Amino acid sequence: MFEFLLNPIYQGWIVQGLLLTVEITLFGVLLGLILGTLLAIGDIYGGKLAKGAIAVYVEIFRGSPLFVQLFLAVYTVPAILNVQIDHYFLAFLVFGLNSAGYQKGYMKGAMETILGDQMQAGLSTGMSKVQTLRHVILPQALRIVIPSWTNEFCSLTKSTATLAYVGLFDLVSAGMAIKGITYQILPVWIVIGAIYLVWITGFSKIMDMIYERKKIPGIELVMQS
Amino acid sequence: MDVWQQLTFLLGGVPLTLSISVLSFLIGIAIGLPLAFVRAYEKEVAFLVSAYEKVFRGVPEIVLMLLFYFGLGPIFPFPFSNAFFVAAFVLGLRSGANQSQIYRGAIRGVGDEQMIAGVSIGLSKWRAIWHIMVPQVFNYSTAGLGSEYALLIKDSAYVYVIGLAELMTKAIQLKSIPPGDFVTPFVLSAVLYIALTFPIAFSLDRWGNKRKKKIGL
Amino acid sequence: MTDLVMEARNVYKAYHSKIKKKEADSCGETPKQVVEAVKNVSLQIRKGDIKLIFGPSGSGKSTFLRCMAMLDIPDKGEIYLGAECLTKPGADLNKARARIGFVFQHIYLFRHLTALGNVELALRQVLKLPKEEARKRALAALTEVKVTDCINKYPAQMSGGQAQRVGIARAIARNPDIILLDEPTSALDPELTGEVIDTLRDLAKEGTTMLIVSHEMPFAREVAEEMIFYDEGKIVETGPPSLFFNAPNTDRAKQFMTRIINRTTRE
Ligand SMILES: Nc1ncnc2c1ncn2[C@@H]1O[C@H](COP(=O)(O)OP(=O)(O)OP(=O)(O)O)[C@@H](O)[C@H]1O
Ligand SMILES: [Mg+2]
Repeated sequence: MFEFLLNPIYQGWIVQGLLLTVEITLFGVLLGLILGTLLAIGDIYGGKLAKGAIAVYVEIFRGSPLFVQLFLAVYTVPAILNVQIDHYFLAFLVFGLNSAGYQKGYMKGAMETILGDQMQAGLSTGMSKVQTLRHVILPQALRIVIPSWTNEFCSLTKSTATLAYVGLFDLVSAGMAIKGITYQILPVWIVIGAIYLVWITGFSKIMDMIYERKKIPGIELVMQS
Repeated sequence: MDVWQQLTFLLGGVPLTLSISVLSFLIGIAIGLPLAFVRAYEKEVAFLVSAYEKVFRGVPEIVLMLLFYFGLGPIFPFPFSNAFFVAAFVLGLRSGANQSQIYRGAIRGVGDEQMIAGVSIGLSKWRAIWHIMVPQVFNYSTAGLGSEYALLIKDSAYVYVIGLAELMTKAIQLKSIPPGDFVTPFVLSAVLYIALTFPIAFSLDRWGNKRKKKIGL
Repeated sequence: MTDLVMEARNVYKAYHSKIKKKEADSCGETPKQVVEAVKNVSLQIRKGDIKLIFGPSGSGKSTFLRCMAMLDIPDKGEIYLGAECLTKPGADLNKARARIGFVFQHIYLFRHLTALGNVELALRQVLKLPKEEARKRALAALTEVKVTDCINKYPAQMSGGQAQRVGIARAIARNPDIILLDEPTSALDPELTGEVIDTLRDLAKEGTTMLIVSHEMPFAREVAEEMIFYDEGKIVETGPPSLFFNAPNTDRAKQFMTRIINRTTRE
């Protein structure tokens, strides 16, 4: 049943699929972090117009399925612009933009629990608003949101299973290809599922360890209050 | 097809979207609530609950649907060859894992004193849980449950992979009708999904603000 | 006139609370739409001065102090730091605040930094000192407030008294022209108050210019050159401690002193 695992060709497909899954997730989380942080700052300090635009952005990306967003990117956007765009690039963009919608919320929440007193304290030492954001607010907020990133990473990784349906070769595509030849349907999906499970669980463990090491004594209390 | 015909066609998928999300949400409550209490109060078997949560946090819903429908369906036609069953089953179990975590947070919010008070008046552990904790737990989990339900609406799009004709599938079907409209079906379906999830996000926001004010005063 | 360090001229600050009628009813209090926390207050501080502000809770002392440091922007009036007018548009507030030390009622240490990091940060970022120089001065400041044992601890790992002394070190490390202290001991347990008061006493001996909001009466009597009784957004009466401890001129000050002295002796 599981003999296909010993075949080097199938092994190659699995590795190739896993790599795409991993790449898109990590790039997506990173783009989401940068964009999400900017959106959070914009939402806190921006004017009415900026706040409104950010709210619309978040509603669009959090209100509809990533699956649909992916189809929009891969079919609709090129159709409207009338150009060919690399699917890989589009997928990366969709995952990043989608993640930004969620990460904006995490960052804003974290920053708001810190902002009040810490901003005053920063200003009182002569630092500018930007310096205080950079040296006081963000270092704390970024640590507080580590557990949220871990969640974001898990859910984005799971969402990469949609990539197979827009013609990208991810882990699910690898499974389909192997299944198409071996007809070992159940074993193939068990193996593919297990690979996701090991990768996500292992990576979460590492993130938890990083959180434990980076965690500032007493700062998680801030989150609860 | 003009836009209205397309819209009507897509709307035909909404009942399925809603029934899958509602059903899996209910399954999620039935699984998540007991699991949360087991994890909180039965320390010896808590690891099993945590393993269950890890599996559903770590395996894509799409893969699970493919596994149960195409992998187990031929072996156990009843019930796994029924796509609707598989959809509600997978999303329900997944939601159970998520909801277990939501309720666990809520149990912490209610606090151990309530439980101790319950036991102190002579209730058994599980009776105290049922009569004292369960009613209060929902007060503390509204926000989490709201976003979980919105998530289920969005995740119901995955049932496309096992051929159920809900909103997402209908959009792809529309796209495939020659000459092939690549714009309207997906834009419309995105709008419909937003229309379905927005009321939840909106009421949650208002509820959250109200609660904040209450605590602040 | 050359030794004038800071001056407030007719400073006015009001808060426009956005309490809606419906919610205000549920609090049971009459809604105040506008809270005038500082009503045309003027004050001069010269080099080496130690002035002490005291008065009822909610009277606007913190607001006034924050206005002095431009952490709150006054609605009207002027704040001068030396010859420089801080309330003029275009004034470099960050530069000004670098010359004003501020100690907060609720301490407000940077939670992600150790004691050393807290003191160093402004030295590096604001004064742009090189690393070793900043470290040396931070250590000197921490030594001065006697918290060398906490150097590598995070705020959450310190006692309230230690944390507040680190807060004072953070304020004095860059040798500011003046230090503003907002009830530096009121958030502390009584047994921790003493160590912070000792630190302030040391600073006073060195001739540090200070404006302190405090209700520590024995301390006030010992170090303050001038006491300022502040009530309902105004300076009601000023004078040396002897005046307040013997016979204040205004009834309100008299009542307040009686209350506070009774409370202190009961403790
Ligand atoms: N940010 C703010 N927004 C609205 N009202 C405020 C704000 N800060 C202070 N106030 C109000 O201004 C008044 C003066 O407050 P302030 O904190 O300056 O008083 P205080 O004399 O320092 O009191 P305490 O001794 O309790 O510290 C109070 O009525 C307070 O409710
Ligand atoms: Mg105050």
